[in-house]
Amino acid sequence: MKLNKYFNRSLWVFHINTGSCNGCDIEIVAALTPRYDLERFGIKLVGSPKHADVLLVTGPVTEKMADRVKRVYEQTPDPKAVIVVGTCGTSGGVFHNSYILRGCVDKIMPVDVYVPGCPARPEAIINGVLQAWIKLEKLKESMEAIPAK
Amino acid sequence: MLGLLETGSGFWSAIIWVIIVLVIGSIVIYVRNKGEDSYKKDTEQDKPFISGNPEGSKENSHLSASHIYWGFTEALKGYYKPLVKMHTGNINDYSSWIILVTVIILIIIGVSG
Repeated sequence: MKLNKYFNRSLWVFHINTGSCNGCDIEIVAALTPRYDLERFGIKLVGSPKHADVLLVTGPVTEKMADRVKRVYEQTPDPKAVIVVGTCGTSGGVFHNSYILRGCVDKIMPVDVYVPGCPARPEAIINGVLQAWIKLEKLKESMEAIPAK
Repeated sequence: MLGLLETGSGFWSAIIWVIIVLVIGSIVIYVRNKGEDSYKKDTEQDKPFISGNPEGSKENSHLSASHIYWGFTEALKGYYKPLVKMHTGNINDYSSWIILVTVIILIIIGVSG
């Protein structure tokens, strides 16, 4: 029996900055503030990946952050989804050939949703979260069909 | 002691209290044992989240009692450091301190008396 099934809740998101200029991070905050207000749906940022359903990654992955972001990904419980916000995380953006970069986010971990933009607008981020939610629901259904050993 | 205590507005019984605790405890243990079955053992999910940093050795990550009064010792560092220096752990030093302080007290008493 999976107890969490009976205590289902909205999507909880853990935000990690892997080398972003903070432009996308500001837009994420904008998505939570009263104008867009994602929190009215119960979607909120959490302080630990262990509580999260979704990893929201901003920025290209620097050498220093590569191991750390991988560890955070592994610490996030299944089923999980990864959203990359911004052009830098998607492709490296203007920093793509920097000596200090390991690369874009999908070189480190599997990415489910890309939200391009420099920075991505809050509407686009909300749409990205929605896409991740749809994907997670499907993942949950498949996990319930094949119970974990 | 184990009987029913009537208070006028209700009653209290030690046996009923123990039974209720056992029932609630059993429910809690049952629910806890169900847990989260998608949790993966012996992976990073076992380890604490330290902002993505690797977990240090248990010895290094130990939070000692002195951390609780860190602010106190930091604020009184000027007074505290000489005191730490005095505590050499050598019994001869401590005996010398006792003799020295006793002599000073006796001199003060002798002078004033």
